[in-house]
Amino acid sequence: MLSLSHIISLIKFYLFYPSFFAVIIFPGLIFTTVILLVTIWFERKAAARVQMRIGPLYVSKRTGGLLQLVADAIRIVFSEIIIPNGVNPTLYVLAPVLPLAFSFIPMVLIPFSSIPQSGSVLSPYYYDFYDPEIGQGVLVGYFVEYNMVLVLGILAIIPIFILLQAWATNNRFAILGAVRESLLSVSYDVLILMAVVAIALEYHTLDIARVVATGIPGIIANPLAALVFFVGMIMGTGRFPFDIVEADTELVLGPATEYSGFLFVLAMGGGYIATFAYSFIFADLFLSGWAPLSGLPGALITSIKAILVLWFSVFLRSVYGRYRLDQALRGSWKYLLPVAFASIILGLVVGWIWIR
Amino acid sequence: MDKVKEQNPKIKEYKKENPFRLFTDHLQAVGAGLKYMISPQRITIKYPEESLSLPTGYRGMIRLYKDICIGCTLCALICPADAMKMVTEEGKKLPSINYGRCVFCGFCVDVCPVDALKETRVHDATFTNRRDLVFRPDRFSQDFDEPAPVEGVVKKVKAIIDEKKGIRYVPDE
Repeated sequence: MLSLSHIISLIKFYLFYPSFFAVIIFPGLIFTTVILLVTIWFERKAAARVQMRIGPLYVSKRTGGLLQLVADAIRIVFSEIIIPNGVNPTLYVLAPVLPLAFSFIPMVLIPFSSIPQSGSVLSPYYYDFYDPEIGQGVLVGYFVEYNMVLVLGILAIIPIFILLQAWATNNRFAILGAVRESLLSVSYDVLILMAVVAIALEYHTLDIARVVATGIPGIIANPLAALVFFVGMIMGTGRFPFDIVEADTELVLGPATEYSGFLFVLAMGGGYIATFAYSFIFADLFLSGWAPLSGLPGALITSIKAILVLWFSVFLRSVYGRYRLDQALRGSWKYLLPVAFASIILGLVVGWIWIR
Repeated sequence: MDKVKEQNPKIKEYKKENPFRLFTDHLQAVGAGLKYMISPQRITIKYPEESLSLPTGYRGMIRLYKDICIGCTLCALICPADAMKMVTEEGKKLPSINYGRCVFCGFCVDVCPVDALKETRVHDATFTNRRDLVFRPDRFSQDFDEPAPVEGVVKKVKAIIDEKKGIRYVPDE
């Protein structure tokens, strides 16, 4: 017969099982959704502060208008979903869901923390999530030894779904936005991949956890790669100054033009979640992730670093205008591509001399 | 055309930029943004709690003096937005105004030969539907004194030019 303590320990075992806990609860789905709301609030407040305004205030004055986001979310979620005539309804509904899903899937593969052999609440899963490269367990939804490649591969699929979104909505603004996305994606994917290749050569590994376990933050070991990765990241997720795809003064909302109601939330949320996923990669590769800690506190440290990166990238909205498409392409191919090459050479040299 | 080409044989599409200079410019921009982020210089007026005290000549809601009006229709003729319309009440022609159209140009006040129209100093008015925007002569010939829709202390402030911030607000009166 099962005793009560047995049941509780069973529930505890399955609750903290990394494939569930890391994906659904803590740095995963629920946490991400909360962070998403707070980030949009922060984005509006930061832009307002810099532009001498106040921003949302009158919904819950004491918290500085934090509930405004909840009110907006409720209003948008319950507004009508309009499906235009002459579109394929299945593809139309599926198109905003797919980029969101593929922005979130990398969160399953990014290591958030390491698991020590004993002393942590996660220690029972030490052997299930054992990473031979670092000699410890890792807190990750699904452990793959070459997760650096897999994560970037999944994030690189998103532009295709943005094209699908524009194609499915059959709107001219959307098509123009998709053309811009297709032109941009070739440039930012190259930058991100080259920065990551530089890091991989420098740390002699394709495992993100190994980079963190080395103990040297990538931003010190290879600042050029950090710069290139960050610019590629804000370019790829449509943050300012590369808000070219959704340019709301030129193309109503780019590929998301025709969407309303909950589908609009999904279409706009995809970019933010992709930024958050990239921020986690940035925190792990360049800011040495969970470095001094391990277990759940380590995951907290990683999340805080990722949130800081995310907030910095949304803060740029208040500083920059929007680049034209040709300016962005020129910037990435003419100025950042040589920097990316330099970062690879720097990575080779530093990896040869310093990091073993 | 050829002469121009001879004078400037090398016409570049973009001017040459120093990439290192570009990078420091970006850092400067982000730094300025962070500076404003940490110590914001807000110039927003929180309207229902405080409002700007306006100068004496600021045109506000218009009021009709029914007994003085001679019904000459000049105000309705000159109105550029078609806001003034003449209506006949008890055999007398009187103007009515639609604030949904009014642009507050003050032509009707200027043109009135007997000074039957006057600009009041009421500027804050709200209406819950479009029908209320039309003022028939009986309503038009009363002082507009509907209470403000939001409770709260209306603190009058005035704007002064500040060397550092640009605009600063100080309490008036």
